[in-house]
Amino acid sequence: MPEESYRRFLDPTVVSKLASMEIRARLVVEGFVTGLHRSPYKGFSVEFAEHRQYMPGDPLKHIDWKVFGKTDRFYIKEYEEETNLRGYVLLDASASMGYGTTGITKIEYSRHLAAALIYLMLKQQDSAGLLVFDEVIREFVPPRSTPRQLHLLLSELERATPTAETSVGGVLHELARRMRRRGLVMVISDLLENPDTVISGLKHFRHLKHEVIVFHVLDPKEAAFRFDADATFRDMETGETMTTEPLSIRSDYVGAVEEWMARLRRECAESRIDYVPIQTSTPYDRALFSYLEKRKRLG
Amino acid sequence: MGLTFLNSTFLFAALAALLPLIIHMLSRRQVKTVDFSSLLFLKELERRKVRRVRIRQILLLIIRSLIILCAVLALARPTLSGLGSGTASHAKTSVAIVLDTSASMDRRSDDEPLFDRARGRAEDIAQLLGDGDEAFLVSAGRPARELLPAGTFSVDVLRDALGTAAPTGAGTDYAAAITRSLALLAESRNLNRELYVVGDMQRTGWEPLSHARVSPSNEVGTDPGAEPPRIFLLPVESVLGNRAAGAVRVERKYGGAAGAVSITAAIVNHATVAADIPVRLVIDGVHVGQSGVSLGPGAAGTASFSTVVDDSGWHEGRIELPDDALDADNTRHFVIPPSHRMDVLLVSAPGAPADRDAYYIKRALDPSGARDPYACAEVPTTALAYQEHGRFEVVVLANVGRLDSGAEQWLFEHLKRGGGVAAVLGGLTDVRYWNELLPAELGAGAIIEPVERRSGLRIAPAGVGHPLLSGLVFGERLIDDATVTRAFRAEPAGAEIVLELPGVGPLLTVTRPDRGGRAAVLYTGLDGTWNDLPKSGLLVPILHRTVAGLADAGRASAYAEVGEDLIVPYDAASVTPPEVELPDGRVVVAERLPGTAGGAVLRGAEQIGIHRFRGAGAGSAGAAGGAGADARVYALAAVNAPVDESDLTPAADSDIEAVLGERDWTILAADIPLEDAILVARHGRELWRVFVYAALALVALEMWIARPRY
Repeated sequence: MPEESYRRFLDPTVVSKLASMEIRARLVVEGFVTGLHRSPYKGFSVEFAEHRQYMPGDPLKHIDWKVFGKTDRFYIKEYEEETNLRGYVLLDASASMGYGTTGITKIEYSRHLAAALIYLMLKQQDSAGLLVFDEVIREFVPPRSTPRQLHLLLSELERATPTAETSVGGVLHELARRMRRRGLVMVISDLLENPDTVISGLKHFRHLKHEVIVFHVLDPKEAAFRFDADATFRDMETGETMTTEPLSIRSDYVGAVEEWMARLRRECAESRIDYVPIQTSTPYDRALFSYLEKRKRLG
Repeated sequence: MGLTFLNSTFLFAALAALLPLIIHMLSRRQVKTVDFSSLLFLKELERRKVRRVRIRQILLLIIRSLIILCAVLALARPTLSGLGSGTASHAKTSVAIVLDTSASMDRRSDDEPLFDRARGRAEDIAQLLGDGDEAFLVSAGRPARELLPAGTFSVDVLRDALGTAAPTGAGTDYAAAITRSLALLAESRNLNRELYVVGDMQRTGWEPLSHARVSPSNEVGTDPGAEPPRIFLLPVESVLGNRAAGAVRVERKYGGAAGAVSITAAIVNHATVAADIPVRLVIDGVHVGQSGVSLGPGAAGTASFSTVVDDSGWHEGRIELPDDALDADNTRHFVIPPSHRMDVLLVSAPGAPADRDAYYIKRALDPSGARDPYACAEVPTTALAYQEHGRFEVVVLANVGRLDSGAEQWLFEHLKRGGGVAAVLGGLTDVRYWNELLPAELGAGAIIEPVERRSGLRIAPAGVGHPLLSGLVFGERLIDDATVTRAFRAEPAGAEIVLELPGVGPLLTVTRPDRGGRAAVLYTGLDGTWNDLPKSGLLVPILHRTVAGLADAGRASAYAEVGEDLIVPYDAASVTPPEVELPDGRVVVAERLPGTAGGAVLRGAEQIGIHRFRGAGAGSAGAAGGAGADARVYALAAVNAPVDESDLTPAADSDIEAVLGERDWTILAADIPLEDAILVARHGRELWRVFVYAALALVALEMWIARPRY
């Protein structure tokens, strides 16, 4: 398939029309990888070990004697186990995630993104797990790197539909208590909850030495509040209604959202959490880049 | 202080102030419900912003309603009245000035013309008018008319109109002028509406001549919320003593010397002291006689003259009294027409005895058969319908039982053409038929019953004596006795009663039916079985005078008062209308009267004096000779000041109330400053500007509040 053909699978609306979650994930990743112009697998293969100069204190068993024989210098061979990662994808499936105005809802966008991340992690021989939550943890698949893990996780993603209210903070605390081994926690959520609670939950992961990426998914209208006529707004989670003049409060609304996101960004930065704000119109590669950057830093 | 609306009909539009609310309610019902991910931020905004938006919406709603309300109120012209002149701005005022231009205003008071004083007071009123005030000027002369073609907003125009106004010599009609002025004010929408009546307040001018009070429909303007106009009377007072020459009666002395005329002038002393009044008679500019009348305060008398004139022409004459306060009634103009033969048609019942009523009448009118001055023709009732119209000036129905329908129609047409009708009732009279004819067609009283007195009843003059009996009455009796044994008792029915039978009722009456000419009815026959009139010395003069009076009525009303129409005969076949030379020498064209009878009219005569009619006169007996006019003058007519103008007595309050009804009115004496009396009540504050400014301010406020905030 030509490169351009793959690239179009980074468009959320195009991907949403594909039938199988696995195909979606694969095409997104292939499209993403095609754009990188170099193999993402370089340096991460279990077959390949990186050589570095021997330093005093390194175990002698790791010296590559073949290289010593050729070069008369000591080089250390690094093994794959040191770079293996346990990745947790935390998907918010609360009712608010069912909102969408660009032809794709937030939950659809998030499922595709999660699938792509999982696919990418498993392709890199990392372990990938999934947690679907709303106000409670609805599904939890522990991370593994087995071949059938991909099928299992994508099936769970297929079933993830928006239902109840959100309790991001509570779920993060709960999950933090369950996760004993360090790993990469990727939260995909609209975070429509009290920011104090959300940040508290995220910090809980950091406290346990987890690495955290927050994919903050919003619909463009949620961010810009581009409604013209007076309307009665009904909360998709609580059913509450409120009638107002969007034109009159838009600037205040946008200001409040920006202030909210700025606070999340600031608090995340302070806790060395990657905060990635994305909208449902944003191509998937932005999120995937964020992941790769993070992954790279983690070595 | 009260709030009134000058255009209160606009107040209905105040309901439009509900429009914003209605639109708001309708738009609220059309608001869509939108599913939204979370009200997290909206709820937060509600605490500080959404609530403010709601308040803003309510505020805008109120402001928009107020804008409409202010606009409506401005259109309704709300006005606060009754504020003092020092604190309130000038409210617009409509003023109607009724200025008395009657003949009585043409007199002097302390060497100053009374009319100038009235004009001065009217100018004082004009002085009080400000910008935007409207003024009407109406003459109280008879007939009342507007001296300005329309209301004016210019004080200068009003002053010019006042400056050109002058007494007209007409009578006074305050009632008509006030009615007209109230109608003009009723169309005005100004807060202050004032009616000023400036004049001598002559009592005779306050008589409701139209037999009705000032129309109540004019009491208030078209706006039901408006106050009625305030009425102020500004009397200008002068001396009241006045002597006047009244009606002049000219009678030709038939049977005497050719051209002998008797002239009788009524003289009235309106002063409060007795006076010996010298009276002069001038004919054709020559002083031909002088007489004197001694009259007590308020008394009336007559001055009589006998003279001889040329029978073949018209003569103009005047009665002169010495100068006094009012000159207009010191001279009374009259004309003496040329003598001419009068054609009389005697109508008798078919087969009536030849020696009865018609016989006596014919012998009385034309005893010698010379057909001078009366040419009598006699026909039975059956032939009446075939007579030529216009040939006979008077028709005498001599003891006619009844008329067939053809004769009736002929008689009615004769009356319509101004001809006279005399009816002598008698033994052949069909009472039922005549009781239909008399009241309805001749305006005379109906017959009640036949009366018979074997002892006879002496004929007596009615009241103080009808002009027809001039010279025939001696004390309270006639100069000759005549007794009646049979007659008809009749109703008076508003007719002029000339002769009566004491204890029975009228015997000879004169009426002016609606149809045009005059009619006389004698309720007794002319034969020996009914009375002895034919044998007395009364029949000839009474018949002569009655027929002459009926004929004169048909020929022309050669007398008129200022303001009345002056009507003279005119050749119906003539193509061009006659010209009229006015007393001041100007010549105007008279108007042809419609119809086939012929006649010309000068509408609303304005000048006192002799009017000369030139052209093809009808039945003209000759040109005006003694007056020295050219041969084309075929008729003269005299115009005088109204007799009632001579009584200068001011009106009492009751007289004014009789005209003004229940309205409030105020007399402003000459020593009361108009500013003090008028301005305090007049000033008020029109608030429409306030509401316009308020509406504009609200619009600006609305735009500021509703400005886009995104």
